[in-house]
Amino acid sequence: MNFCPGCGASLETEASFVQEFWSGADRNFLCWCAACDLLSTVVLPAMIVSHEPEH
Amino acid sequence: MLSAEKNRRLTQVGPGTPMGELLRRYWWPVATHDMATRVPVKRRLLGEDLVLYRDGNGTVGLLAEQCPHRRAALWLGCTEQEGLRCGYHGWRFDESGQCLEQPGEPAESTFKDRIRATAYPVQELGGLVFAYLGPAPAPELPRYDLFVWEDAWRDIGHAELPCNFVQIMENSVDPYHVEWLHGRYGSFLRELDGRGGPLPVVTKKHVKVAFEVFEHGILKRRVLEGHTEEDEDWKVGHPLVFPHMLRVGAAGLATFQIRVPIDDENTWHVWYQTYRPEGGAPPQESVPVYEVPLRDEKGEYLRDYVDGQDIVAWITQGRVSDRTQEHLGKSDLGVILLRKLYAEQMDRVASGLDPLCTYREPHDVIDLPMEKDKFGSAVEFRQLWTRESSIRYSPIKDEIFELFGDPVPAWVS
Ligand code: FES
Ligand SMILES: [Fe+2]
Ligand SMILES: [Zn+2]
Repeated sequence: MNFCPGCGASLETEASFVQEFWSGADRNFLCWCAACDLLSTVVLPAMIVSHEPEH
Repeated sequence: MLSAEKNRRLTQVGPGTPMGELLRRYWWPVATHDMATRVPVKRRLLGEDLVLYRDGNGTVGLLAEQCPHRRAALWLGCTEQEGLRCGYHGWRFDESGQCLEQPGEPAESTFKDRIRATAYPVQELGGLVFAYLGPAPAPELPRYDLFVWEDAWRDIGHAELPCNFVQIMENSVDPYHVEWLHGRYGSFLRELDGRGGPLPVVTKKHVKVAFEVFEHGILKRRVLEGHTEEDEDWKVGHPLVFPHMLRVGAAGLATFQIRVPIDDENTWHVWYQTYRPEGGAPPQESVPVYEVPLRDEKGEYLRDYVDGQDIVAWITQGRVSDRTQEHLGKSDLGVILLRKLYAEQMDRVASGLDPLCTYREPHDVIDLPMEKDKFGSAVEFRQLWTRESSIRYSPIKDEIFELFGDPVPAWVS
């Protein structure tokens, strides 16, 4: 993750924090942006699963 | 994984490093009360070599190890009525570092007035000596409940562990390890040794865990199999106290595990116990202090008890766990939250702000939340913890059993 999804600031600065973790087949990055203080999780999903309404 | 650069930032505690600067904003236990005597002793904290002493007036001082004259170690020194005298040429210093005397210099010399040893403020509380290595003005020493209760007994176990303090702190936001390291592995060792069946309490499965950052650090909650959100494990929980402690216990038995960074690769671990049955404990003359051994007589790591299992898990992660090689999952979210909290607080300090858990106002006591009924039952938890934690090395173990009067559990073989 190179940039904050909130403000676009670089996450590769000294202060910002990016931590990878896995959830099933999904690759996740917890990102904390030192510029705007946003805490976010960016998911690189193995697939996109949608829902199907009753019909 | 974490990048190598972020791992260094998270784990380096020396002067001038971001984590080192954050940690220097807190008071740290540097010794137990019995270490501060007329005999000066060497201590090491946050990568700095220090000398601790108590002079004839009872004043406790903490000076940098090297004498400002020609750099001999000040533990090679004599405590005088006032201050510490270097053993090499007799220069004498007070607890502020001021040089009081230079016996070899001409009588009318004012040279001593311009000489200062590096000195750090110290305070004694609850049987520990606390030191502050950061920039002035020092914040208040936080008077956490366990350090100040008047109607409790205490004892203090301690050991030097050959690993970085962050991996130990991460254990305190890792509830799942309890059912595996202590539940499964601990029971496996009991099977192998023919010591009976699995332990109660720690074998309970986790249904759900939660972490929230709050004024004291990170509050942990859990729901165990067969329990609900109405149980205190969830309703109350217990905290990781930022940046360096775990609060753990059940009614009457409340403890801190304090992780004191000696340097990047070593941690002084302090198990601080309070015993406070219903109605309070009778007065205690002084707080017993004991060392917690790491190895048995064959040189093998002791791991036939809960704290021993934790210690070996922490140490075997390596001197500084190589986080570029790890694989975190969803069950590690507590660990991730803690790392993020350290990162955020380092940034606060870098921007000139006080970090979390800085106290600037004088106060009587800081009460921390903790379950009374833990893992379902206070008595069952106490029965376990007084036997399966480092309390098993306490010189007052038998008196503690008597104080609570809990029955001997069936699983004791
Ligand atoms: S399963 Fe967690 S360290 Fe091995
Ligand atoms: Fe543990
Ligand atoms: Zn941002």
